[in-house]
Amino acid sequence: MISRIERTLNHAVLAFVSIVVLFPVVWFLFTALSPSRSGQLDFRHLAWGNFAVAWTAGGFGSAMIASAVITIGAVAGQTVLAVLSGFAFGVLGVVGQKVLFPLILFGLMISAEVFVIPLYYEFQAIGLTNSWLGLIVIQIGMGVPFGAFWMRATFRAVPPAMIEAAEIDGARSWRILWQVLLPISRPAVLTLVLLSFMWTWNDFFLSLVFIADPSIQPATLALGVFQGQHTLDVNLLAAGALIVALPVLVLYALFQRHFIRGVLSGALKE
Amino acid sequence: MASSELVQRPEVAAAAPVATRRLGRAEGARADRRPRPTLSPRVRRRRWLGLAYAAPALVAYGFVVLAPILQSVDYSLYSWNGVTTATWVGLGNYVSFFTDPALLESLWHVCVLIVFFALLPIALGLISAAMLGRARQRGAGVYRWVLFLPQVLTSVVVAVIWKRIYGPDGPLNSTLRAIGLGDLAKNWLGDFTWALPALGVIGTWTALGFCMVLFVAGVAAIPVELYEQARIDGAGPVREFFAITLPGLRGQVAVALTLTVTGALRAFDLVWITTQGGPGTSTTTPALLLYRKAFLNPDVGMAAAIGIVIAAVCLLVALFINRLSDEKDA
Repeated sequence: MISRIERTLNHAVLAFVSIVVLFPVVWFLFTALSPSRSGQLDFRHLAWGNFAVAWTAGGFGSAMIASAVITIGAVAGQTVLAVLSGFAFGVLGVVGQKVLFPLILFGLMISAEVFVIPLYYEFQAIGLTNSWLGLIVIQIGMGVPFGAFWMRATFRAVPPAMIEAAEIDGARSWRILWQVLLPISRPAVLTLVLLSFMWTWNDFFLSLVFIADPSIQPATLALGVFQGQHTLDVNLLAAGALIVALPVLVLYALFQRHFIRGVLSGALKE
Repeated sequence: MASSELVQRPEVAAAAPVATRRLGRAEGARADRRPRPTLSPRVRRRRWLGLAYAAPALVAYGFVVLAPILQSVDYSLYSWNGVTTATWVGLGNYVSFFTDPALLESLWHVCVLIVFFALLPIALGLISAAMLGRARQRGAGVYRWVLFLPQVLTSVVVAVIWKRIYGPDGPLNSTLRAIGLGDLAKNWLGDFTWALPALGVIGTWTALGFCMVLFVAGVAAIPVELYEQARIDGAGPVREFFAITLPGLRGQVAVALTLTVTGALRAFDLVWITTQGGPGTSTTTPALLLYRKAFLNPDVGMAAAIGIVIAAVCLLVALFINRLSDEKDA
């Protein structure tokens, strides 16, 4: 039993931290709706038109399309590779897995700065810089460690009896994966899709390195440019930033549990 | 023949008869470590099939990540401006880490950032997790949603938000002026002394909610009996925290520490968008120098060396922290 005082204290602590976290975001939201260029808050005149103005001024239309293409391509590729390799490492076994799997896990602790330079020159040589395809390929390759790790754990948690039963029925590996494992692993696949969507959409560094042509730059990069040019139009800048953040925010609002569970268990695995 | 050869788990000992399965874990584990020739041809064939399934992922990973890492090591031994012929300099680029003042300064900045990115949010997260107690909270979902929010915002947006907050007539300065501390108002990100701590606070803000969500989940997993026992023994809240909560959260603290410390070591997006390393060189980070040396005023070998060092240090930090938390476990 917990006392009422304890409960009130709990709420007080949580509410305090929540306000600290939320305050900058809410402030920013109203800045985006401010009618004045200096971003003075004005709750009586909410200028919803700022979003439309920022959309055109920052060229966010084409940038959002670029982000969408890159993200969808990367998420599709990452998911397919994750399911296939998770099935291989978790269920079938792989020749040389004692070396290969640790090698893949090693990638979980690596981030782009250590391989981006040679990759840049390599891609330049084969014409994959300044291209959406290039970014998609990089994202797919970078996504392998988490995807393989995640789907392997998922498939290993499937009761072996289910796989045995399918085998007795004479199912081949492909059918076991497609008709037995995937249907019951749908929540885990959804989590993977959401996380890789977020990671790809939110990327800034790789786009900065690999995309130089403003006409094909993704949204995060466009926002980076926009904030350099429109330092005086604070309200438009805020509106632009919210446009860029919106797709992930919507997914986060709809699938909160998946995001939090995915990030936490991904972090906890080591 | 057992039907479940497809299942590769050692603990199921799939291909073995039931009797073997009862031999217990030690036996199973030893059998598992024995060299492969004991595998039946069918299992071996299955593993080649597995390799085929894993091949696309392995190829993509090798092409994008592994091969370039090896090339990076190679690059780092040369001095190269990206155009003319490269000259071999051996470990010269790595020696610069001890001699180049710009690089040394950026390493010091990382140390400062670690305080803000890692130590501060973890300490605050622990304090609030301890204060929260163990009750299932009404509205916990809403709080969690809010606390986790900075994790899903892209770094560019976070940077833009905080640039506004720190701006000359941003909310921070207006608040200071409103409460009569107008003398303290300044352009925070343009100030030689304050730009780095100001950047650090952004990291604290981002990580705080994450640490809290992680720790609160961890506290919920600590057995209630431990707390009841402590209360019976007459332990106060402070002793309870150090005797039970903190040891119980060892794993979570290790994870938070690993993620936030490596985050500080890699800091780029935030810095690039808010200060670009300025004013002067007061907020440079190794990743920022890497980007400049690789793509703006090319000293490619040096940039590759910086990349290798960042990755190696991150790896060591991760291993060290995990080792530490495992040891106490034993």
